[in-house]
Amino acid sequence: MKVVHFFIGFMLLALVQVFIPSQMIWQQEDILESGTLYKFKTMPIDPNDPFRGKYITLNYEENSIKIADTSYRYGDKILIYLDKDRQGFAKVTSITKELSEAKGEYVRGEVTGNYNGVINFELPFNRFYMEESKAYDAEKAYRTVNRDSLVQNVYAEVYVKEGESVLRNVIIEGVPIQEYVKKENSN
Amino acid sequence: MGSKFNKELKTLVSDKVISPELADKIEQYYATKDVGKPNKLFAIFGVFGALLIGSGIILMLAHNWDDFSRLTKTILAFVPLVLGQILVGFSILKEKSATWKEASGTFLFFAVGACIALVSQIYNIPGELDSYLLTWIILCLPLIYLLRSHAVALLVVIWSTYYAVLVGLWSYRSSEIPWLYLVFFVSIIPYYGQLLKQKINSNAVTIFNWILPGSFVIALGGFVGNHGNLGFVSYIALFGLFYNIGRLDIFKPLRTLRNGYLIIGSLGTVISLLFFTFRWIWDEFPSTFGLHMQELYVLTALLIIALIVVGYTVFKKGIRQINLFQVAFLIFSMVYFFLPGIDVLPIVLMNILVFALGMSAIKIGADKFNFGILNYGLLIISILIICRFFDTGMSFVLRGVLFVLVGVGFFVTNYVMLKKQQRIKKQLKDLQL
Repeated sequence: MKVVHFFIGFMLLALVQVFIPSQMIWQQEDILESGTLYKFKTMPIDPNDPFRGKYITLNYEENSIKIADTSYRYGDKILIYLDKDRQGFAKVTSITKELSEAKGEYVRGEVTGNYNGVINFELPFNRFYMEESKAYDAEKAYRTVNRDSLVQNVYAEVYVKEGESVLRNVIIEGVPIQEYVKKENSN
Repeated sequence: MGSKFNKELKTLVSDKVISPELADKIEQYYATKDVGKPNKLFAIFGVFGALLIGSGIILMLAHNWDDFSRLTKTILAFVPLVLGQILVGFSILKEKSATWKEASGTFLFFAVGACIALVSQIYNIPGELDSYLLTWIILCLPLIYLLRSHAVALLVVIWSTYYAVLVGLWSYRSSEIPWLYLVFFVSIIPYYGQLLKQKINSNAVTIFNWILPGSFVIALGGFVGNHGNLGFVSYIALFGLFYNIGRLDIFKPLRTLRNGYLIIGSLGTVISLLFFTFRWIWDEFPSTFGLHMQELYVLTALLIIALIVVGYTVFKKGIRQINLFQVAFLIFSMVYFFLPGIDVLPIVLMNILVFALGMSAIKIGADKFNFGILNYGLLIISILIICRFFDTGMSFVLRGVLFVLVGVGFFVTNYVMLKKQQRIKKQLKDLQL
């Protein structure tokens, strides 16, 4: 093997190394650009990823559906079909294992439980990365808002297109969570 | 050359052992000998520098700066990546030294990680840590071969081990098997094989000799899961396999300490067998057979591979060259699968097996005049006896006598061997005179 071969091999690898993240970006931008916006009511908590830093895990209110079907088991990959109410909040209309275009817009998720005719599932967009100083405060801020029973006011903005989704932001009382935390801290 | 060496030369000259001319010649010889050789220390510092800078970048980006716009963040994600690629491309094209290749490869490895980390931060891309590690490893694996870089190979081994543990053990669903770990492991083998052939005695090979079996020992946990004894048996098979690999001819030129397979295999075998000399472990596992098929498959695969290696050794060197450590896993598996129900028999057999292992280590040590191995054997027997101290209803007198006997054994065997060694040394000296 000559140097040139190694170099060509490396150029190919370098292209792939650039292509994969670029493609990730392109896909996400495309969803933000032309996807549909849904609002999901949510509850943030604050864990940690060693390479990607602080994030908040979002537990959504829309995490179950009443269907008496025991064929759905823990860990099954499912398609979750969405609709929204007048204020733009998302409602889960149905779930299936195989894609059915007629049921409208959908996201991919996973079954986390099936008990008493209620199927619980996990929505894919459950991580929201935040600046490390703000992630814990965000959780605290949520708890304060929740205590005042204003849960309506915490939701995630999610863009959906052809089964893929991008979590754009988390909104507390009408302002993005980062600004809300900043405001709370300065008070 | 080191200043200590030069000092010694001066002493030799002043003591009139060698002439000043000869001293100059020697000095010159060593001065020119090392020219053009890559400086090992520099390579190591280069890699560590790249490692620290690379992980520093990842940490800084993990802050998730709110003040930057999406575009700024995106550009930031690609700057280290492209920089790393330019460095690597340059060192390949200009055929730079190993130091260059190792350092630039290490930097690029982390730059790739930083880039995909930042992209997933910007868009809140879902997915646990394991899927992120997976992308990272795949994007960097070819670098091992393109750069022939030890550092990248090591990083890939460590990262794949991390991946295997995340998927197999730490994932809260904990039901998946990290098959891809095997793919990564196998893809490193050709590189490692080449190293073994070319520079068996290098430090790099020693590191791999320890890291590869170590990684597999950790990752096996991800394959056998948390349940049951079959996992334990799989580990004994794995240690048997490693010991047998360590005994292959290719590792013969190595000092024992450089042969991680042998040491991990031997220690692992003894420690796990010691567990099976207790009664409780045999009492706990009846009737769980066949419940965990996945572990059974893993175990069968390991047993078959280990058997192939033993068979190969027997075929090459004859059955007389096989020692007890090489077949201990086999004896154990037979007892485990064929005699589990029979009350105390398996426990007695296991005690005998561990005792025999200790004796055979003593014999190997005595034959090779190796005090380390000799005392290792004595240690095995002592630990076995200490274990029995705790769980059997032996009388105090008997236990006391046993302890005294083993203690005496320690002294006597070491003393006898020391004497024998001195005698042989004396004989050799006499012959030379």
